[in-house]
Amino acid sequence: MNKIIAMVRKELIDAARDKRSVMAGLYYAIGTPLIMCGLFMVLIGQLTSPDDLKITIKNPDKAPDLVRFLSNKGITQGAADGSDAKDLKAIELIISTDYAAQMNQGKSAEITIVADNSEEKLQNSIRRLEKQLQAYSAEMGSLRLIARGIDPRVVQPLKVNVQDKATTDSKGGMILGIAIFTMIYSVFISGMNLAIDTSAGERERNSLALLLSHPLTTRQLVLSKIIAVSLFALLGLVLILLVSKIAYAFVPWQELGFSVNITTEFMLLMLVVGIPVALMAACLQLFVSFMAKTFKEAQSYLTMVLFVPLALSMAASYNIAPDMLQWLPVSGQQQALMDFIKGKDLPMLQLLVSTLGTLAIAILLAFGMERSLRSEKVIFGL
Amino acid sequence: MIKVSHLSKRIGDVQALNDLSFVAQNGQITGLLGPNGAGKTTCLRTIFGLLKPDNGKAEIEGIDVAIDPIGAKQQLGLFPDPFGLYERLTPREYIRYFAELSGLSSKDAKEATSQVIAKLRLEDISDRRCKGFSQGQRMKTALAQAIVHSPSNIILDEPTRGLDVMSTRLLRDILIDLKNQGHCVLFSSHVMQEVAALCDQVIVMAQGRVVAIGSPTELCIQTGKDSLEEAFIQLIGTDEGIAA
Repeated sequence: MNKIIAMVRKELIDAARDKRSVMAGLYYAIGTPLIMCGLFMVLIGQLTSPDDLKITIKNPDKAPDLVRFLSNKGITQGAADGSDAKDLKAIELIISTDYAAQMNQGKSAEITIVADNSEEKLQNSIRRLEKQLQAYSAEMGSLRLIARGIDPRVVQPLKVNVQDKATTDSKGGMILGIAIFTMIYSVFISGMNLAIDTSAGERERNSLALLLSHPLTTRQLVLSKIIAVSLFALLGLVLILLVSKIAYAFVPWQELGFSVNITTEFMLLMLVVGIPVALMAACLQLFVSFMAKTFKEAQSYLTMVLFVPLALSMAASYNIAPDMLQWLPVSGQQQALMDFIKGKDLPMLQLLVSTLGTLAIAILLAFGMERSLRSEKVIFGL
Repeated sequence: MIKVSHLSKRIGDVQALNDLSFVAQNGQITGLLGPNGAGKTTCLRTIFGLLKPDNGKAEIEGIDVAIDPIGAKQQLGLFPDPFGLYERLTPREYIRYFAELSGLSSKDAKEATSQVIAKLRLEDISDRRCKGFSQGQRMKTALAQAIVHSPSNIILDEPTRGLDVMSTRLLRDILIDLKNQGHCVLFSSHVMQEVAALCDQVIVMAQGRVVAIGSPTELCIQTGKDSLEEAFIQLIGTDEGIAA
């Protein structure tokens, strides 16, 4: 036991002095919530106040009523002197010269939209313009029917009502799903450099054989490395939780009609749930890096391996997940946390199963590591 | 006391150790002399249980390494090649860390570390990080690590490689000191002068087997040559891989 404490202490001192390890953890834990907040702020800004859409309208004098209708909906003619050329979208609305005459006779008046339909950025603007033109057309149609003594509802056999069942909290939960994903992933990112440094790095520095020449069991060695890396990973998690709590408070959620609040209960639950995940992350990273001979080799293996938990967590947060995902490691915990934040009951059984699965993987990997460190091939890289 | 009997070990296609037997006594300095690739490092790694022999066994103070590796390693100190320093730790932290790994309690380790730092005159560098140390400073740190827990047996792998005269002399003094205290010192080398000046017993190795055992003088008499170098060449039958 004393030896394990001595080793963990040494690993932590060593890691704390390693700028690379510390930076990797800190950058992610502090940077990600800030970036997320920035993104949400921009997103909310766009959703709540759609910009004016400036387009070029030809022959506006032929259809003053239509032009007025469009400008009420925020679609206006670009300034003639080109002073707002920056905001002007490459969309042209051509009103035919016989527009007024056709309208008067109750015929279809012709208008043309000229735009590059293949351009991704214009899609939204084109659709918005089309939608408003349809609305205007429907309004005119109804007026014509009324003028002829016909109830306009005759030509609207379907009346579609959409009821949004999403509660304000569950809407916020969607966004928080992504936030939770970044938190779970911090466990993997924060400890990664230390995991590589303490395994592949140890071999690269030729200290692994020296270490194993001392009277300690490989189990003690493996345990102490796992503990050190897990502690570092959890430190990253604590940091990201603290930064998130502060940073998310600055996002104007109320404009979306719901609130996102990182409560103390959520932070505690996240930490408890995070412990087995951190253990598994540590075991996985150490196992892979002990297989590698150099720091660089370990880094490239790990980027490949870490894709698996990344994919699991991503799938869970975007709700594209099959039900099975709530029983699996990482994604199971993620979904439980999302349920918690949405104010639902915690799915205890699923959480328990996925946590046990996580621990089982960790233990298997730890045993695998213990075994491999007894092999002379692994120690000396023969 | 380190006893090796009938060790055989095959690594890949190479028979690295071939029925190797010898005894290194307490209170003596034993030199493992052989050309490059003779199996010296393999032999030392087998004594530490890092390599498992195909045949035979290694015993430290009568403890079989294969049966009780922890007990056996408790009796050993290793001066490795390369040193394996942790660049971000200071020598004091480094030495204390390995003292604790060798089984000393936290308090004893601290005390033993201070003693060994004083003994090797490491005070001026003991609280600086190892990064950027000279070869001599690295050697002293590694040596302090090997003897901090006063093991009865000390094993050194190519200890004088890359050292200047001053460091070599310091190392030599410490080894003689250890011997006089009754420790068993076993080191591998291919430097003749070193072996001739220090060793009570020389084990000449070639191609994984013992070619001759005896004091430097005995080896000279046995081969009828004037110097150990000549005797060595006579014994291994070639002058390949020898540093004068």
